Formats: sequence, structure tokens, C-alpha cells
Amino acid sequence: MKFTTMKALTTGVALSLLATGGAVAQDYGSFEGYTLRVKLIGGAQYEPLYAEIARWEEMTGATVDVLSRKNHFELDREIKQDIAAGTLNWCVGSNHTSFAPQYGSIYIDLNGVIAEDVLAGFQTLALENSTVAGRLVQLPRHSDISNLFYQKSLYEDQDNMDAFEAEYGYALTPPETWDQFRDQAMFFANAPTFYGTQYVGKDEAITGRFYELLVANGGALFDEDWNPTFNSEAGVQSVQWFKDLYDANAVPAGVLNYLWDDTGLGFASGTVALNLDWAGWASFFNDPENSQVAGNIGLVRAPTGSAGLRSGWSGSHTFSITSTCDNVDAAASFVSFLTSHENQMVEARKGLLPTRGSVWDAVIAEFEAEGNEFMVEVFETYALSMAEDAFTPPLIPEWIEVSNEIWPRLQGAILGEMTIQEALDEAADATRIIMEDAGYN
Amino acid sequence: MSSDHIQPRRKRSRDWTPALLLSPAFLVLIFVVLVPLLFSLYTSFTNYRLIRPETLYDWIGIRNYQRIFSDKHFWSAFGRTIVFLTIALNLEFILGLGIALLINRITWGQRTLRTIMMFPMMFSPILVGYQFKFIFNDNIGILNNALQDLGLSDGAIAWLVDKPLGMFTIIFAEVWMSTSVFAILLLAGLFAMPRDPLEAAKVDGCNPWQVFRHITLPFLMPFAFIAMTIRSLDVARAYDIVDVMTGGGPAGRTELLWTMIARVGYDNSRMGQANAMAYVSIMLSIAFTYYFFTKLIAARKYMGGAE
Repeated sequence: MKFTTMKALTTGVALSLLATGGAVAQDYGSFEGYTLRVKLIGGAQYEPLYAEIARWEEMTGATVDVLSRKNHFELDREIKQDIAAGTLNWCVGSNHTSFAPQYGSIYIDLNGVIAEDVLAGFQTLALENSTVAGRLVQLPRHSDISNLFYQKSLYEDQDNMDAFEAEYGYALTPPETWDQFRDQAMFFANAPTFYGTQYVGKDEAITGRFYELLVANGGALFDEDWNPTFNSEAGVQSVQWFKDLYDANAVPAGVLNYLWDDTGLGFASGTVALNLDWAGWASFFNDPENSQVAGNIGLVRAPTGSAGLRSGWSGSHTFSITSTCDNVDAAASFVSFLTSHENQMVEARKGLLPTRGSVWDAVIAEFEAEGNEFMVEVFETYALSMAEDAFTPPLIPEWIEVSNEIWPRLQGAILGEMTIQEALDEAADATRIIMEDAGYN
Repeated sequence: MSSDHIQPRRKRSRDWTPALLLSPAFLVLIFVVLVPLLFSLYTSFTNYRLIRPETLYDWIGIRNYQRIFSDKHFWSAFGRTIVFLTIALNLEFILGLGIALLINRITWGQRTLRTIMMFPMMFSPILVGYQFKFIFNDNIGILNNALQDLGLSDGAIAWLVDKPLGMFTIIFAEVWMSTSVFAILLLAGLFAMPRDPLEAAKVDGCNPWQVFRHITLPFLMPFAFIAMTIRSLDVARAYDIVDVMTGGGPAGRTELLWTMIARVGYDNSRMGQANAMAYVSIMLSIAFTYYFFTKLIAARKYMGGAE
């Protein structure tokens, strides 16, 4: 199978500022009296962008009616109900590169709808990953990849350094490999008051983490004929990492019920040593009003697996326009506005990774001017990982369904209800049926 | 026109009157209940995928049923739903009975207490789910922090993850929210209870336990079975609280029929297969309802009431 990489993003980061010329005032048209109906992803980190919607309304004379503002899993259910009930009576919806392939033709091809010069401002690979069956069904808003945040003071403590070296036989420095990550998480853990790390433990979240570790360990989800191959030695090795930490109480006992907010807030609470997470939390982590670890955060790229590859599960949050939209021009204007240079800067200032190359350079320059070294380090680290490590899950309609067969078995293996091999074999059998039903083999 | 001609016409119109008066109710029932039921029954024999409306006509016979009947995870969820139902209903009955008996004894402030008692029912199940998810959180939850501060526990108890505790927490939340249904119905039973048999029993020398066991409880049982019928239908389709608190996990430890049905139907888009599961769930509800109605009739017969 083909895993789409995002290596071209580095080039985009470096060059596209020159190509687009940074922020350019744009005419978003006039849609006086029109009401644009939209369904958007909700959540603390997504909201600052929505505060800008009033400006679009002012510029165009249109009104935006936000019908939904839910997390993506709930939004996905709602969109599927709309498809089934034939009630796609709205124009713009939040989308994601991992979810988009399953929606078929409900979203229009944006090639020809969004002006070419506007599209030229986006990173080439972000647009490629937004393309399904040759159709650009979504406009990328921001991208997502995880790197490793850690509490710096723990690594500067001489007692910690001596004790760690005595126990593990190598110097205590931020982890370079997943094995070191495990060692150090176990070393720092002191349950129930302090934990070495934590991981998202359910839904597509843990499938994704398993997937990136599998790739880093030299494994793959499928072979070239779409036969599941994740029940390999690399698969077992990957699940073992989660299980070892769980068995050693190096992660909170309830971790298998955790999702992104739990892990982010956990690190901000100061009770966790290491946290593999996306950049969207960066400014929150370093804000003394919200975080106990503000001013004490180090960041390194995600570790490498046994195959010498770094983990780099990635994707983009996006916007799409429905094929039933009654005013495609207004919808196109709206998504262009939300993904404009100016608005990507709004999100980038919070740590969200832009999909326009020009924004990467502009936001780093802005942080440098402010003397915000931490955010400069964040963007430089994430730029490197987006360029060299990023890969998406298979962009196929069956991804979420396959994920739903994998994650309960991962939980079963971590909890010791079955062996890791049994769990992966069972998930592979269930996956094979899904792929056969879908006509892959 | 002679009266011989008028009479049959009036008779005919009188014959149609009940049907005409009832027709709105029948029409509503047909369109709101029967048609959706038949439609979902039909889809359970198709490969209906929510995101591909054209699959609605893809007839695959009993394949969905074959697949779920041979799926051990489905049967585990089925068994867990029965356990969940049985424990929750019995606990709600016992606690509801206790609350009703206590409130019945109060002479001052009874109305206020009755209102307070119904507060949990006024919350949305989603809110109740979040409330208990927070209370039972292993790291920042109130319960674990209280236990640790009181020196009753030195570790973080994984309430929402541990095998028996996971089921315990969702049963606890369900019981907390709905015990008042039992309490209110049983209290209504206590209010309706004639005083004569109670006084006669006391005169005959019965102790309080004998009065409760042989007079009060049999009188209340029809009310209890009505509450159980209503609640069994509610609990058998429990979804919101469980979805918020555990999502049916981890590793399916708290998976009930409806969390599984929602995942298969919406996340996996296999609405045909989900509807097949839903029909099995409906059969389970019908079985419980039939059982409780049988018990209701027996209880009323015991009390000399109508069958």
C-alpha cells in the first residue's frame, strides 16, 4: 500500500512565503442578505478562528448560521445522518483528511471553485492529501503531527541524572527512541501523584498512535494487496510499549478512557513528565494562567522506533463545500477567508500548524520579534517533523471502520484480557472481512 | 322521503363513527411507529450503508443476522445488557421502595422532599454521564481524591476501566438518575393503600415486618411491576450515560447493545447490520415487558384485582 508522506512540506515552509507574498488583502465578494449554513468542528483550540467570522459577515453582507459545533466524532455521525436522511441543506462543513474519503461525492471538487492563485498559497502536499479520487474535496485549515513535550526541570536535576544512569546505564537526556521514552516514563512515574507519561486510550486516537509506532518499528497496516499485516512482530512490539507502561503504573490507571483533552490537561496540570502531543497545546502549556508547567517545557521530535524511523502520524483539519449548496460562491468565499494567510496566523499564534507556507515563516518571525523563544522552538521542531516524518493513515473510506476493529483489541491486550498476538490476529481477521466486503481483495 | 330510507343511512354513518374518530390515532401510529419499524426491519435484510443511500436496495437476506449471531462480541454485549438491566432494576426497586416508605412516614415537608427526590430525573442523561465521569476519574476525580485524603486508598482506583468497577460505575449512574421513578410510583401506591387491612393486622397482633411483608408489599407489587416495565424499556436502550462515561470500553468491558449498535450504525455506517442488532434488542425488551406484565397480572390477581 502507499503511505502518503509529507516530505514536500519542508520546501513549502521554506519557499512559499516568496510565492504568495504573505498576507494579501482579498475581495471576498458581496452576498448581501444571504445566510450561509455551516457545520463546524468545536473545541477550545478551534474557537479563536470562529471569532473572525464576524469580519467575513461584515465584508460580504452575508450572515453565517452555525448549525453545529461539535467534536469531529460527533460531527461525523451527524453528517452521516444528513447523508442518509437527504438533509444536506447546509453549505460548508468541517472535515478531516482521515474522514473525508468515506463521504463519497457529497462535497464538491474545489478545483475551479477556489481560484488557482488562492490554491497556490497552500503547501502542495497538504492539497494532495486533501484530494480524494482526483477531487480536491477539502481546503486544509491546519495540520497535525505529534512531538514530545517534557518537563525540563526533571532533566536538569542532578539526583535524577545520577539515579537514572545507575538504573538504566545511559545518561538522562530527552528520549531519542521509543525504548528510551518507555524507560524514562517508568523512571519518573510515582503513581498516583505523578506519572511518566500518558496516551490517548480509545477510539481512532489510540489506533493512530499504534499505527505510527508500528511504522516506526518497521511494520505496516496493510500489504500492497490490502491484506492486513499489522499482526506482525513489529505490531506486537508496538502494543508491548503501551502495555509495559500500563503494567508499570507509569501512566494513569484510567488512561484507556482518555482522549486528547485528558492528555493535554494532564500535562498542563504538572503531574506528567513526558507528553507526546500536537502543537495546538503549545501556547496553552506555556501560559502560567492555565498551566503548572509554563516556563518549564522542553520539546523534542517524536522518537524513533526499532526500524530507525520516527513516528509521524499526521493529517489536516479542513473545510468542505456540499454538492447541495445553494450558493457555492459564498461558500467558496467563506472557506477562502477562514484559510487565508491572516486567519491561519490567528491559529498559528496558538500553536496550530498552518497549511500555507507563508504563515510558517511569518509566525516564526513574529515570535522571534516578540522574544518568544519557546514558540519559535515549537514551530521549528514541528516544521522539521512535518517535513521529514509525517505520513497519513491510509486515505480510504474504510479507515474509521478498520480503526474501530483495532482499538478495542488494543485495549484488550493492554489490559491483559488476551495476548498481544491474539488481539492483533483477531483485529486482522475482522479487518480482512471489512476489506473483502469493500471489494479490495 | 320516508323514515325507512333514513334509518339505514343513519345506522351506516353510526357504524363508521368510531372508526372515523379513531382514524387520526391509527394514522399517527401507522406513520410514527409502524412504518419506521417496518422500514428498519427491511433494512436489517439489506447491506444498507448510511453513507451510500443506494445500498438501501441491496438485499442480502439474513446475512446480517447470521453475522451478528456468530459474533461473540455481540453475545457478550447482549449478556452484559441483561446483567445491567437485572442489577439496575433490582437496585432501583429496593432503593425506591425504601425512599417511598421513608417519605410516606414524614408528616412535615413531604411535598418538598418529593420534589427534591425527582431532581436527578430532571437532568439530561448526557449531563449525568459527564458528572459521574468526572466523579469517577482516576486522576482528578472527586472520589479518588477523597479516598486518598481520608487515607482509605493509597492508589488511583481505575473506576471507569477496571472490569467489575466499570460496570459498577455505569449502574451507579443509572440507578442514581432513575431510582426516583420507582420511588414516585411506589409512593403513589402507598397513598392509595386502604388503611383498614393495616389497622386490622395491627389489632390481630402483627408486628411491623409482618404487616409490611404480607400486606404493604403485595399491595405495592402491581405498582412495582408497572415501574419495572417502564424502566426495563428505558434501561434496555441505555446509551447516553454509558457512551459519555466509558464509550462501552475499555476492551468492551462496559459495552451494551446500544453502544455497540450506535458504533456499527453510525461510526461504521453499517446501518443494515445495526438494525439487525436493534431488532434483537427489541426482542429482549419485549421479553422483559411480557415477563413483567405476567408478574403484574399475577400480583393483581393475588390482591383480588382484575386480571
